Amino acid sequence: MDTTPVTPRSRVRAAWAVPAVAVVAVGAAFAAPPLLASADTAGLPTVQPDELVTRVLEAEPQALSGTVVHTARLGLPDLSLVQVGGADPVSLLGGSTTLRVWTDGEARSRVSLLGTASEYSAVTDGTQAWTYSSSDDEVVHYALSPQDAARAQALRDDPPTPPADLPTPAELGRQALERAQQDATVSVDAATKVAGRDAYQVVVTPTSTTTLVGRIVVAVDARTWTPLRVQVWSSDDAQTPALEVGFTDVTFAAPADSVLTFTTPPGAQVREVTVPLPDDATLAAHGDVPSTLPDDPADAPLPDGVTVTGTGWDAVVEVSDVDVAALLAGDPSAVASLPDVEKSFGGGEGANQLFDQFMGEGDGPPVDLDTATLYDQLTTPVEGGRALQSSLLSVLVLDDGRVLAGAVPVDTLRAVAGA
Amino acid sequence: MTATLRAAAPAVPHAGAVTDDAIRTHALTKRFRTGQVAVDGIDLAVPRGAVYGFLGPNGSGKTTTIRMLLGLVAPTSGRVELLGEPVPQRAAHVLPRVGALVEGPAFQPYLSGRANLARLDAVDASTDPRTARTRAEAALERVGLTAAADKRYRQYSLGMKQRLGLAAALLRPRDLLVLDEPTNGLDPQGTREVRHLVRELADAGTTVLVSSHLLAEIEQVCTHVGIMGRGHLLLQGPRTELTARRAARIAVRTPAASADAAVAELRRLALDDVTADRAVADGTVTVWAAVRDDTGPAPQDVTAALVRADVPVVGLDVRRPSLEDVFVELTGEGFDVAR
Amino acid sequence: MSPADTTAPATPAGAAAVPAPGADVPVRHRGALARLVRAELALVLGRRRNLVLLVGLALVPLLLGVVLYLAQDTALAGQGPPFVSRVTGNGLFLVVASLFLCTPFLLPLTIGIASGDAIAGEASAGTLRYLLVVPVGRGRLLAVKALGALVFAAAAVLAIAVVGLVVGAALFGVGDLTLLSGSTVPLADGVLRVAGVVAYVGLSMTGLVAVGLFFSTLTEVPIGAMAATVVVAVVSSVLDQLPQLAAIHPALLTHHWFDFAEMLRVVPSADVLAQGLAVQAGWVVVFGALAWARFTTADVTS
Repeated sequence: MDTTPVTPRSRVRAAWAVPAVAVVAVGAAFAAPPLLASADTAGLPTVQPDELVTRVLEAEPQALSGTVVHTARLGLPDLSLVQVGGADPVSLLGGSTTLRVWTDGEARSRVSLLGTASEYSAVTDGTQAWTYSSSDDEVVHYALSPQDAARAQALRDDPPTPPADLPTPAELGRQALERAQQDATVSVDAATKVAGRDAYQVVVTPTSTTTLVGRIVVAVDARTWTPLRVQVWSSDDAQTPALEVGFTDVTFAAPADSVLTFTTPPGAQVREVTVPLPDDATLAAHGDVPSTLPDDPADAPLPDGVTVTGTGWDAVVEVSDVDVAALLAGDPSAVASLPDVEKSFGGGEGANQLFDQFMGEGDGPPVDLDTATLYDQLTTPVEGGRALQSSLLSVLVLDDGRVLAGAVPVDTLRAVAGA
Repeated sequence: MTATLRAAAPAVPHAGAVTDDAIRTHALTKRFRTGQVAVDGIDLAVPRGAVYGFLGPNGSGKTTTIRMLLGLVAPTSGRVELLGEPVPQRAAHVLPRVGALVEGPAFQPYLSGRANLARLDAVDASTDPRTARTRAEAALERVGLTAAADKRYRQYSLGMKQRLGLAAALLRPRDLLVLDEPTNGLDPQGTREVRHLVRELADAGTTVLVSSHLLAEIEQVCTHVGIMGRGHLLLQGPRTELTARRAARIAVRTPAASADAAVAELRRLALDDVTADRAVADGTVTVWAAVRDDTGPAPQDVTAALVRADVPVVGLDVRRPSLEDVFVELTGEGFDVAR
Repeated sequence: MSPADTTAPATPAGAAAVPAPGADVPVRHRGALARLVRAELALVLGRRRNLVLLVGLALVPLLLGVVLYLAQDTALAGQGPPFVSRVTGNGLFLVVASLFLCTPFLLPLTIGIASGDAIAGEASAGTLRYLLVVPVGRGRLLAVKALGALVFAAAAVLAIAVVGLVVGAALFGVGDLTLLSGSTVPLADGVLRVAGVVAYVGLSMTGLVAVGLFFSTLTEVPIGAMAATVVVAVVSSVLDQLPQLAAIHPALLTHHWFDFAEMLRVVPSADVLAQGLAVQAGWVVVFGALAWARFTTADVTS
């Protein structure tokens, strides 16, 4: 029996202490995991930059599944309009985007870009690829023509990868390091943790001082040598990376078959896209096209109407006779006449990706948004045309139909155009 | 309230018979956050078996005191004991033995009277669910609501609502009833019935604390009285003692011509405060004098003396002091002043 | 009942010496809590206003289904927010589409009304004081009130889901379910996933119930508590739209509400679902504790 009289004041104070404790406890519960995750990485043997790069390039591609967060701070105009739509690759241009990645480490993979109550998936089984947008219930099926497929099969067991790609750290990181020693210095930074795994950090710093790319930092898993995170830093912002693609969680295990296969859902619209296989001569000249980039853009035969000025990080790609107005209107003939520049563009990796995002629309825009509005939002008028200036990439669209792009300031592009 | 009224006055428990009080407060104080002191250090003592009239104008602190007794409001300082147990610490233990009507009845408007009682009964962890129906029917019967039991509460008249409130307080046998303004909204017949009910319960040994701002309604049933004014307990004790503090007055009505003779004779009888009113329309005058029960002459002696002195007595009356007189004397103001 | 029914003699002098009527020491009867809960549920689910709210919610899938049925052969077919365009192909999507449409406002509104009313309604009716002097412990009463509000929230979500399922199946039939990822799963799996959506939406409302309960302990004006609760949900959604506040987004009450879509991805991420539910649990703990502290210490002056 409680005989001690409880004074109301202390009783009140004791009662209100409960929610105070609850707030602290809940706050701690949500704040603690990230803090714990940044635990020390002591015990990792040191590695030399060269060795690290070699390890990464020679590492067997791993079967994995994981979640990737892609964050772009490109200094582009606000694209919040874009967010209104469903999951769409355009959202990669700004803000944070979450992707899920599954790969068997060989030819098959699935990458899903997550939106609120929507999803944009890209699935490839090695010889063909599908993208599926839940917002439109539309499937785009990429495949080689039957003749090409037979030829590819005859040529090699590893046929070309179709173009329906979404960025993943593993791919991006590998590509970045592949080109690392070209016009850049490579060093190793302090080890870190990415997605709860110990990781080495490789820093690739372009030797050029005129490019917009400050440096690229690739975090590499210390066990599997799989790149876990790529950060592209702009030369004018040392605080936050302009582009960051990294796993937030990753599991190295073969995903279920059901994830890696794609069957067109009943009722969905299907658009067939036949991917041309380069002719035998090109294939012969390049042992490794087009699953990765050519070692140097200059080595690749450039399509008609495409010229490259400068080398390495300062390279500027110039495409002539582009009918911008028709492209924006989604005119298929304009798309068809667009030179195949995708694989020939030679800027920094981030720039290359960005370029993919834009020019990828040549495959038929998955973008529902009024493309012309987007174009107007992104570009600013300059003398003789319009320009897009982001922290990593500049694009100059001239009224005479020439389009120049590169990881350099707009002024450089204009100088090249004027030359 | 099915029984008829009884004329007998309630029995008064012997003061020495109670070993402990049914309600006891010690320096009970409530200061609201606004800074207003609603109840200021009161020491309430309600003996077991008493019918305690808790009186005072509206706003004098009665309801706040009652809320503290029942654990609804936490005292700023001071202690409460109900049936010997500290409240609010032991409220869960003691409150099942206490029936209460606080500041008017309140029920779910869209439920019937019966459903409302069933709900309150279901909330009580110490009642036997098997007898719930019996209890509710008995309580409804007792307050005369059986016929209206299935009407929605919202359709009840004020009097019916009040009766349902009483039924809820009587859902189970109680040792103590706290009835705050139980006659509010009742017609004279209903008021009489409530008085009768209180007497009946008291006769059965239940202690009743009944508050009111209408003195006359309760005065007749109370064995004890406490008077609140502006947050203070001005006075409390057995009713007879309180009214004995003030002398009864004798009123002699006589023709105007004999008024002086009447005054002289009353003074001769050594009565105090002898005054004469002015003549009224029928030509009579009322002459007043204070009488003390123990030492003064009995009323019949006064009559005889007046007759001997050739004062024609048209009427003679002894006026006992009312609680209101006591209250006015204590506070210097009318009872309903704070209304 | 008359005085003779009681055990004590009517002699006043004996009143104190002999146990007074009802002086049997109160004992807790077994099942008392269950009785209290039943009484509360009967009150919540039997109240006409609450039933009207449930019927209102149930009308959403009915109207949506009928409209889509009538429009399915017109040029407008296949348009609309996520899920809505799928309904004509598979009636199961009517459940998801209705929940998708109700989650931003109608559901919070309904739940705000029920939970904001929980304590404040009793206070404003004056019944709170009578419940407390019965007596019932304040913590216990609050818990039972919370349970009542939670059951109502569940009933609200189920009303949408059940009517959506019935109407969807009747008008469009059900079949294998096409996920957001483009994969198609068999009907049984699809039904399980939609059940998962319903469960997640229901659990996502628990934080709001706790907020409503807290507001309900602050006032004697139920409409104020209801409005404040709905405002919290709306403000949370607005804040969730502001990129400048990205840092606090994950903790917002409404931020994870639409993560029910996770159930419709090829591999539902347990992490994402757990994160959403953990945030709700956080709100429940904090606002439940606030409500408890307030209700167990407040003076009941209504």
